[in-house]
Amino acid sequence: MEPSEEAPPADEGLFAVGRPVPVGTYLRDLWHRRDYLVRVPVEDLRVQNAHTLLGNLWLLLNPVLQVAVYLLVFGVLIELDRGVDDYLAFLTVGVFVFHQAQRTVTAGARSVVANVGLVRALRFPRAALPVGSAIGQLLSFAPVLVVMLAVTLAHGHPPDLRWLALPALLAALTAFGLGAGLLAARATHTYRDLENLLPFLFRLLFYLSGVLYSVDHFVDDGALRALFALDPLYCLVTTWRWALIGTDASGLAWAGTVAWPTLFLVVGFVAFRAREATYGSGA
Amino acid sequence: MTGPTPAPTAIRCRDVDVRYTIRSHRPLLRDLLRGNAPEATTVHAVRGVDLEVRVGESVGLVGPNGSGKTTLLQAMTGVLPLAGGELLVRSLPTFLGVKAALRPRSTGRSNIRIGLLAQGLRRDEAEARVADVAAFTDLGPAIDRPMETYSSGMRARLHFAIATALTPEILLVDEALAVGDRAFRERSARRLDEHRASAGTVLLVSHNLAEVRRSCERTVWLQEGRIVADGPTDEVLRDYEAS
Repeated sequence: MEPSEEAPPADEGLFAVGRPVPVGTYLRDLWHRRDYLVRVPVEDLRVQNAHTLLGNLWLLLNPVLQVAVYLLVFGVLIELDRGVDDYLAFLTVGVFVFHQAQRTVTAGARSVVANVGLVRALRFPRAALPVGSAIGQLLSFAPVLVVMLAVTLAHGHPPDLRWLALPALLAALTAFGLGAGLLAARATHTYRDLENLLPFLFRLLFYLSGVLYSVDHFVDDGALRALFALDPLYCLVTTWRWALIGTDASGLAWAGTVAWPTLFLVVGFVAFRAREATYGSGA
Repeated sequence: MTGPTPAPTAIRCRDVDVRYTIRSHRPLLRDLLRGNAPEATTVHAVRGVDLEVRVGESVGLVGPNGSGKTTLLQAMTGVLPLAGGELLVRSLPTFLGVKAALRPRSTGRSNIRIGLLAQGLRRDEAEARVADVAAFTDLGPAIDRPMETYSSGMRARLHFAIATALTPEILLVDEALAVGDRAFRERSARRLDEHRASAGTVLLVSHNLAEVRRSCERTVWLQEGRIVADGPTDEVLRDYEAS
């Protein structure tokens, strides 16, 4: 049926099942499934709010309400500028980018254990599960991106050439989420504990990545600042802000924006595939 | 099929072993620190099965619960890794197990689309079959209602229709026919007959022996992961029922 299945032809046109396939075949199988990978998240998004009064308006309302809360807390209740001119736009970009990474990794981590039934019933490259969940997160990011752009526009940042970097930045954000999600999916399959730990890890990173404050403003020591580039989320948040609200991004932050997603994607894919055969067997 | 030249082999199992590991609990930090692993039980679900199925044959698989029937089918699809032996197939067998891919909140029609894509079709290929599959379910206007509103019989019809839509060369059926009302059961059985008539190979796991008698000329009796008997359905089932 699938041409890629006709691996080394054994006797009389038979071939072996249950053997690992070469990486090229694996990626080809994954590509062959692309329509399925897109269809499922689209369908899930479509029915997600089926039982609510406002329906899919919630996809847009969620980020809007989130910004409204920040506006109320940081704009009206506490005056907390911390060395940035337009704190609301600064915060909105930081929080939305950070949360997108968090959601992609978390969904990826759960994708295998949540779909054991599917893994046991159908044969397909298991990486399809984290990839599918990353696609789903990417799709649900669209309304968030719209709100984020609206906020930055409202704060007097007209579209400029830096917006051209957005597709690449979105790719980097998604690649990081997918790569870390593949790693987390493998780890979660062995140690379910990770599902409980991930929120705290991200909470910690949230405070370390300069989402709420400007690292440049608070950290004067150059060497110390360089350490922040070890945090992929700091790099991503910083370069996204560069594109949307024109704050500075160091060379290290740019290097991190390219290097971390690439590294996570490669290591995550290799690590995930190494346990490919075990994902259906429960342990 | 007994002719002068036997049909080519569709599935060949040589000394196939499939094992599960079930642990008393998942490893705890305590275990890791002390370096002792949690108590593990290995379930040897399929033990040294030798089986040769030829193209166009339809073989019944019988045995008590836990005898390894479903596990053997899962190994044939490549879903479960082999612990030993060799399993060769002519084309990748398809398992009637599309159920897990379906989404309760989506309509029957959307689920047909998803189920077809899940079985490896491309979008245009799936789109071309949606109407046919929807017609086969005979669900009428309910096909455009969310699946969560269906009765279990309606759901089962949807599953069967999606799973058999592709008529793969080798079809593995696990207790799928005992679903729906009588009319639907008859249509399901007809669909399997058509499949065999077009030289398809069927492996049928069932506790419904009448169904095995009707559909299979050959039957394999599994017990505790081993083949106890393999031969003409009448003979094997006579012994099986007597046991």
